[in-house]
Amino acid sequence: MNWKKDVGGWLLASPYVLAATVFFLIPLGWSLSLVFYDWNLIDPVRQFVGLENFRTAFTTSRVLYAFVNTYKYAAIFVPSVVVAALVLALIVQHLPRLKQFFAVGFFLPYLASGVAVGLVVRGILSYDSPFNEFLRATFGSSPRWLRDPTLALVVISAMIVWKFAGYYALIFLAGLQGIPRELYEAACLDGAGPFVQFRRITLPLLYPAFYTVLVLAVGLCFGIFTEPYVLTGGGPRFATHTWQLEIYYQAFDRYRAGYGATVAVLNAVATFVSVLIIRRVVEAWGVRRGFR
Amino acid sequence: MLMAFGLLSAAQVVEITFWTAPNPSQEVFWRQMAEAYMAINPNVKIVVSPMPEVPTSEAGILAAIAARTPPTASENIFIGFGEQLARSKAIVPWNTLPGWDNLVQNRAMNQTIEGWKFADGNYYIIPLYVNAMLIGWRLDILRELGYSQPPRTYSEVLAVGEVVKAKYPGKFVWLRSELEVPTWWQRWFDFFVFYYAASQGKALITGREITADDQAAIGVLQFFKTLRDRKFLITEPLATGFELGRTVMTVLGPWTFPWWRENYPELVYGQTFVVTPPPVPDAYPAEKPVFTFADAKGVVLYAQATPAQRQAMWEFIQWVFSNPAHDLKWIEITGMLPARDDVGTNALFTSYIQEKEPALLPYAQNIPYALPPFAHPEFVEIQELMGLECIYPVLVGELTPARGWDAWKRAIRPLLVK
Repeated sequence: MNWKKDVGGWLLASPYVLAATVFFLIPLGWSLSLVFYDWNLIDPVRQFVGLENFRTAFTTSRVLYAFVNTYKYAAIFVPSVVVAALVLALIVQHLPRLKQFFAVGFFLPYLASGVAVGLVVRGILSYDSPFNEFLRATFGSSPRWLRDPTLALVVISAMIVWKFAGYYALIFLAGLQGIPRELYEAACLDGAGPFVQFRRITLPLLYPAFYTVLVLAVGLCFGIFTEPYVLTGGGPRFATHTWQLEIYYQAFDRYRAGYGATVAVLNAVATFVSVLIIRRVVEAWGVRRGFR
Repeated sequence: MLMAFGLLSAAQVVEITFWTAPNPSQEVFWRQMAEAYMAINPNVKIVVSPMPEVPTSEAGILAAIAARTPPTASENIFIGFGEQLARSKAIVPWNTLPGWDNLVQNRAMNQTIEGWKFADGNYYIIPLYVNAMLIGWRLDILRELGYSQPPRTYSEVLAVGEVVKAKYPGKFVWLRSELEVPTWWQRWFDFFVFYYAASQGKALITGREITADDQAAIGVLQFFKTLRDRKFLITEPLATGFELGRTVMTVLGPWTFPWWRENYPELVYGQTFVVTPPPVPDAYPAEKPVFTFADAKGVVLYAQATPAQRQAMWEFIQWVFSNPAHDLKWIEITGMLPARDDVGTNALFTSYIQEKEPALLPYAQNIPYALPPFAHPEFVEIQELMGLECIYPVLVGELTPARGWDAWKRAIRPLLVK
């Protein structure tokens, strides 16, 4: 009987196991083996270089830019997307009707093609766009949106916030809907205003949603690719360069499979450590404030 | 008996594959060639398909070689990538095959082929087309400004800039937003064009040595910077510049003309625009030819093919390139010029160009002065560093042109000795 149950379970899980093996485990093992080689995918001889790829990665400015920029993206993106998602969730929560309609509407940017959105944004910010024409007519000049290092970083971060705010808002919305109405009614009877209710009831009880959104948002910063690829190519002067752009550049522009795999492994380590740190920080904050 | 005969016949048919550039018109040309060849050679089956772009055509070829599924031959290979394939012994030198000299002779490539010699003295690529990169000028706007012909030198371009800005403050001389982007291949369409013009075609890199004309390179950088400082050059993204008359100059390849015919029929060669070689330094002798960069690609034969497939492909390639009518067909279908020495002089080509696409005439005439990319396996990083270490810092004023040029040379030296 148990044997039959196990077979059924394995059969049901087999599509996932197969997909994970083919598209995750085998490539992962392949990448881990490549990090010790200098190889362009076609040379009959793979040159064993030991830890040379790691030494190069630790000493090149390109990887350093990717590493530092990820935290710059995080510094802009994480607080912005949390606030935006929370505001959207609160708006939808307090709508008298058509909640689902608006929730789905805010989620749609998440489904939009990053390349298509990038091209639209590039059009909006191009020198001759109506928006920039208006700025020049009103203020005498228009910003160099994608050519100024700081502005380019902000523009790309804003695009990602736009894309993910609706998605994270759904997580907050689920959290908000799980808060019992009685708590607010009791607080109201005690004379608590909306702000106090939000601070004393909503925020603490949304802690699990905050935890999820923060971890997802920080992890996402290590996977940014499409937006800078379409808009800036990582420039100006590496100001918007990311881990994924570096992996792509090494693997597909320079055909350095071994070194590209090395950067990918370092990216995975940096992501793991950063997510671990943010988890610990959020958990400690939750414990200190009594949310956990 | 009949079955045995059928099996024998099937065994004698050699199947070869040919990958074309991911460009529909090029695919049409090669399909027509393959069908015509198979009609007279029933023992050869040629499968023509566009090469995969995952995410680039070069990466697609590498992936196919790694997976041991490359075609027998493909086009769309430029000399830098060819150098990388040759170093990995993934392609076969054409000149080791019998009849190579005849092919060079028959296709009138004696002069053209010299730019395609690899460091080991072999020819791994048969050049297919050469697109000299020239400069398009808005003749209608220049006439409005009082000019009857486009400027030839840097000073003349700057003078045009002054007049453009005085009459039309919202217009620019040149839109080149990619100048601030380090993408390696973009250098083919800005710095290389102007550098070859200024240096009389002096090679930037020869083998492992930097052989550039420093004075010419620094002059080009200074020219770019002056254009930008005076707001004659716009480096910000702009949807359309030249076509809508927002700029008067553009670096122009012949592949643009079919697109213009579709989308900007008002752009008529000789009326609204003309094409010239790139601007040169003021001291450049007027009687000397002006060199430029050539967007040039060719055909390679992959080493993984069997001897029978190589032989069959070689015979097909000889058949394609030994008949000038096929090169004329190439022009008709793709709008690009074949890599032949006589494309600007052979009546077969010039009469067609004059009648059907006169804008191609300057391209044909400039083929002898159009130089392909340099051959070095580190071409990607070398050209990317040009944007990062040199052009961008010079444009934004972080470095003088001379210091920017030195910075690039310093940065690439370790790559050259690899």
